[in-house]
Amino acid sequence: MLALGLIAVGSGALVVTSSHLVRAGFYLVVSLGAIAGLYLVLGAEMVAWVQVLVYVGAVVVLLLFAVMLTRAPIGPSRDLDRPIAPAAIIGAGVGFGLTALLADAFRWTEFELPPPGNAERVGEQVFGAWVLPFEVLSILLLAALVGAIVLSRPDLGARPDPSAPPPEPPHDPTDESAEVVARLERIATRQAAAQARVRQARADALAAEAAAAAAEAAEAEPEPVDPLKQRAADLIFGAHDARPKIGEPGEAEILDSRIIPGESVIERDEPIEPRRAIEGERPTTGRRSIEGNVIEGDLVEEKRPQPEREKLEGRPERPALPAGDDKEEQ
Amino acid sequence: MHAVIPYVIASLLFALGVYGVLRRRNAILVLMAVELMLNAVNLILVAADATVRSVLNGVTPEAWAYPVPEPRSGAIFALFIIVLAAAEVGVGLAIVLQYYRLHRAVVIDEVVLDEHDHEKQVTG
Repeated sequence: MLALGLIAVGSGALVVTSSHLVRAGFYLVVSLGAIAGLYLVLGAEMVAWVQVLVYVGAVVVLLLFAVMLTRAPIGPSRDLDRPIAPAAIIGAGVGFGLTALLADAFRWTEFELPPPGNAERVGEQVFGAWVLPFEVLSILLLAALVGAIVLSRPDLGARPDPSAPPPEPPHDPTDESAEVVARLERIATRQAAAQARVRQARADALAAEAAAAAAEAAEAEPEPVDPLKQRAADLIFGAHDARPKIGEPGEAEILDSRIIPGESVIERDEPIEPRRAIEGERPTTGRRSIEGNVIEGDLVEEKRPQPEREKLEGRPERPALPAGDDKEEQ
Repeated sequence: MHAVIPYVIASLLFALGVYGVLRRRNAILVLMAVELMLNAVNLILVAADATVRSVLNGVTPEAWAYPVPEPRSGAIFALFIIVLAAAEVGVGLAIVLQYYRLHRAVVIDEVVLDEHDHEKQVTG
């Protein structure tokens, strides 16, 4: 206990005297860890673990985040401290005063260390006698959360700056400079000219076409249909229609005799029990199918007429099952 | 075990915290010193929880002093103070970071208290 106290006080002194910001944070970790050890010794186990979780795990990490976010230098900082005299005087005075007071109050009282408390007792107390402070504390945590968020957002609750110039009116897209307006007008006239040109060309082409059609209609006469030509056309286009299409099976393929449906049906004189065949044949089938060139259906067909008892005895690699067991399986 | 040991440790830690708060100029280091002081108070509470009954040996207890049959209130108070310290560090660090964003500094000597932020920005 004395050693833990020495560690706590020593690293606490380093926290307040170190000239490295980050090192001060890590000395704070050591000091708080030693205090957590003191809590353990004094029988407040729950408080010790909450101390480790909240202080060492959260508060110190938050402080180190703040150290990083304020761009603190890694090395020692010169201007961290005020002049030592008043602080040392007041600190020493507080230390001596408190130490004298408490030492006088407790003198040489001995006490036996209490049994380590557990979370159950603490929970009974928190939710029994101290439930109102507990709820108030939860509301306070919520308020602290909201307050931290409001503080760190500059757009919430910001007063308007009286000395700032009045806010500019929103940007008008039609309010352009003279150069941009001239360029837009030039582009518009160019587009209008191009459209007129295209329309003119189209009208000319339509007029020429109409004139040609009128001349053709004047010249042409309906020709009599040649029966020979008609038959040739029938032949050609009929052959075109009869040609095999892509994606459909042709007539020759449909009539191919190599594909016979239903060939995998094996003729048997008696139906086999599927369970027995599968049980008896599983290892052998695997091995022989690795060797290849053996179709599974053939295997079943070969091995089927043999009696099963004989197969089981004939293979040494399979442990022989007792007869009663085998019958039970079947 | 002497009852004086945890109390003296706690008072030394509290004195270190006071010294740190008065000595340091960096706001984050001041917050660390405040943490030390809060832990000293926690240590006193837990130690009192463990030692007070052996100290007050011949004293007859009052009825209002024991709201629960088995008094272990020091640990409860310590838990509450830990939660308070966590909330305080959260809000304090938010303030420090906001101040840093406005002024690019966390030196608490140079904080001007009787001047609004926008006036400060315009003048300097």
